[in-house]
Amino acid sequence: MTAANNRPCGTALLRTRRAFLRLSGVAGVSAWLTANWPAIAAAAQHATHSEANGLTPPLSFFDAADAADVETLAAQIVPSGATPGAREARAVYFIDRALTTFYADWAPAFRQGLREFQAGFRAARPGAASFATAAAEEQLAFLKSVDQEPFFEAARTLTVLGLLAAPQYGGNYRGAGWRLIGFTDQLVFEPPFGYYDREYTGFVPYAQAPK
Amino acid sequence: MKTFSRTETVDFAVVGSGAAGGVMARELSQAGFSVVLLEQGPRLGPGDFEHDELKYIFLNGILNDPVRCPQTFTNDPRKPAQRTSNSNVLQYARIVGGSSNHFTANFWRFHEIDFHERSVLGPIAGTGFADWPIGYAELEPYYTKVEWEIGVSGLAHSSPFDPWRSKPYPMPPLPVKSSGVLFERGARKLGLHPYPAPMAIVSRAYRGRPACVHCGFCEGFGCEVMAKSSNLYTMIPEAEATGRCEVRAESYVHRVALDARGRAHGVLYFDRDRNEHLQKARAVILCANGAETPRLLLNSANTRFPQGLANSSGLVGKYLMCNQGAPVHAVFEHELNEFKSVQVTRVLHDFYDNDPHRGFYGGGGIDARIDGQPIYWALAEGGQLPRWGNEYKARLEAFPRSMLCMGHTTSLAVETNTVTLDPELKDAWGVPALRVTYKDHPDDMAMTRFLQDRSTEILDAAGAVKIWRGEAAETTVAVHLLGTCRMGDDPNSSVVDRYHRTHDVRNLFICDGSSFVTSGRGQPTMTIEALAFRAADQIGRFARRYEI
Repeated sequence: MTAANNRPCGTALLRTRRAFLRLSGVAGVSAWLTANWPAIAAAAQHATHSEANGLTPPLSFFDAADAADVETLAAQIVPSGATPGAREARAVYFIDRALTTFYADWAPAFRQGLREFQAGFRAARPGAASFATAAAEEQLAFLKSVDQEPFFEAARTLTVLGLLAAPQYGGNYRGAGWRLIGFTDQLVFEPPFGYYDREYTGFVPYAQAPK
Repeated sequence: MKTFSRTETVDFAVVGSGAAGGVMARELSQAGFSVVLLEQGPRLGPGDFEHDELKYIFLNGILNDPVRCPQTFTNDPRKPAQRTSNSNVLQYARIVGGSSNHFTANFWRFHEIDFHERSVLGPIAGTGFADWPIGYAELEPYYTKVEWEIGVSGLAHSSPFDPWRSKPYPMPPLPVKSSGVLFERGARKLGLHPYPAPMAIVSRAYRGRPACVHCGFCEGFGCEVMAKSSNLYTMIPEAEATGRCEVRAESYVHRVALDARGRAHGVLYFDRDRNEHLQKARAVILCANGAETPRLLLNSANTRFPQGLANSSGLVGKYLMCNQGAPVHAVFEHELNEFKSVQVTRVLHDFYDNDPHRGFYGGGGIDARIDGQPIYWALAEGGQLPRWGNEYKARLEAFPRSMLCMGHTTSLAVETNTVTLDPELKDAWGVPALRVTYKDHPDDMAMTRFLQDRSTEILDAAGAVKIWRGEAAETTVAVHLLGTCRMGDDPNSSVVDRYHRTHDVRNLFICDGSSFVTSGRGQPTMTIEALAFRAADQIGRFARRYEI
């Protein structure tokens, strides 16, 4: 049995932001947020401190094997290459922190989904030791069979957040995600802002009111 | 700063410090009255706001959150409403200054037709389509007041469809962005009339605030440099400077208190420690927004007013209107860098008026804007976009070359679209929670698709290399909270009169989005603030004549 026909319930995940906003089974996020914002800030500071010492932050939700699988999955969603991907952005560290803090309510379903994903992979590729250590073509072939599943969608959403949320949350390492998409986090910009407004010569008024 | 003792009776208790409440507090305190402005959320300042998309857009950072302030929702009045989980259906910023903090700052005036469209077009079956009791001419001086005293940038007479005005804008429009240039190019080719967007963001130093520095975080965010003309930075400090206004944050009003004669004698609220207090006042003004004002009235029911306060018409909470959004996405050959500067720099109103040839009622405006901050962009779907792998990565990299055309539409007033009290669910303070019943009128959806068609043509004429339509979905999340205590001359068919006084309680006034009779074409805050300036003028006059 693969993850594809063993759908974990209660974690409907999200095709669009609209769906993201409707996400069921996630009550608790905001109250947690309100009550624990200082804790997140402290955790962020810890992450920054680790980074300054050349260390990766500690993992608290995943063990090493799970972290390797999730990191590999994230790296298939946003691959590395000439430009940074999810791996360079350290998305897995974001995911680890999210599931123990502001998305703690997703944690049980995510863990269950991960177990089913891993079991599904072993069933589909009996020789493989783990998803993370399998050949890239095997990973790709398997992902094509599960990419409509709620767990994949949850992993995809968290990968994107880990790629592009502000670095203080543990991902988007040194702005790698922002660099990838061409975003600059800055307080002050001056015109011209882009290619097309460079040559704009000014607004030309309309001669007369249209009918 | 003035602090009233809890036993003191003030002239006015104003509930809600957003677009309307901030104006009301400033106007009445400047006119010499004592005012307590009660706000359920905390007071933040520019130093508290951040460029943090995860917190503000995805974790309800400053919003009414679904845990402490839960809501239930159904799109079918015959079916039970379900609790929403990750975000609320009717959203607003729950901090001092309310949603004037996180709005996009599109500040269109309503047109003359918005106020008397029912008389022009006749009735629409199955709706509560009606005229306002006031017209554009009565509101025009107050629109001008909003532009000059709160601070709006724009170019007068640049849109041939604009209503008449008594004064130009106090400052020039913000510099055009690439989305604006492309939108203007495409629209002009089609014979349309794009023009510089009027924005409640200052383009030069104005009334003690600095000019916009183009950081790009407007929609959904509080302004870090005070250039956005939020009441937090404009009306509220001016109210406090009179020495007659106290802003009481973290004060959650849950009931209007009545005396034995059926007059309001104050408001009951919970402080930050959940202790209950009574703030006594000679008159009460509700500016709590189109969701919370009706909820507060319904929660204030007593033996004299068993249906809820000010609800002899039965219309408190009815005729909720939210405006629809009509998104069309595009990618161009070169960089636009829409993440820089304000969200919108060009708008058009060519489709503002109803046109019987379309076969349905409605009208709207279209603007050109950023297609979301990075995470929003990366999670947007539709148009057979790749969702993972190298193709997905390539799509992410198109971020600087992307833009969005957003259509904004009318919403028809439908009696079954309501804010009511949930019979079971309570909020974190034990107060009955808000239940939302809402289904867009088919004409609203038709107008949404119509504007998507027009946006597609504009983007095509502008030379986009890829265009795809966003989802034209029925409302499940709304930020324009309108119509739920409508204004009118007839006490049987409205909740407040033309001066915002409730028909039922002489010293209880309501002014916010709930006063709207029609929805306009999508940008209500400008009109909420103009209504508040006008209402404050009238209420002050009544008070001086002992007519309250």
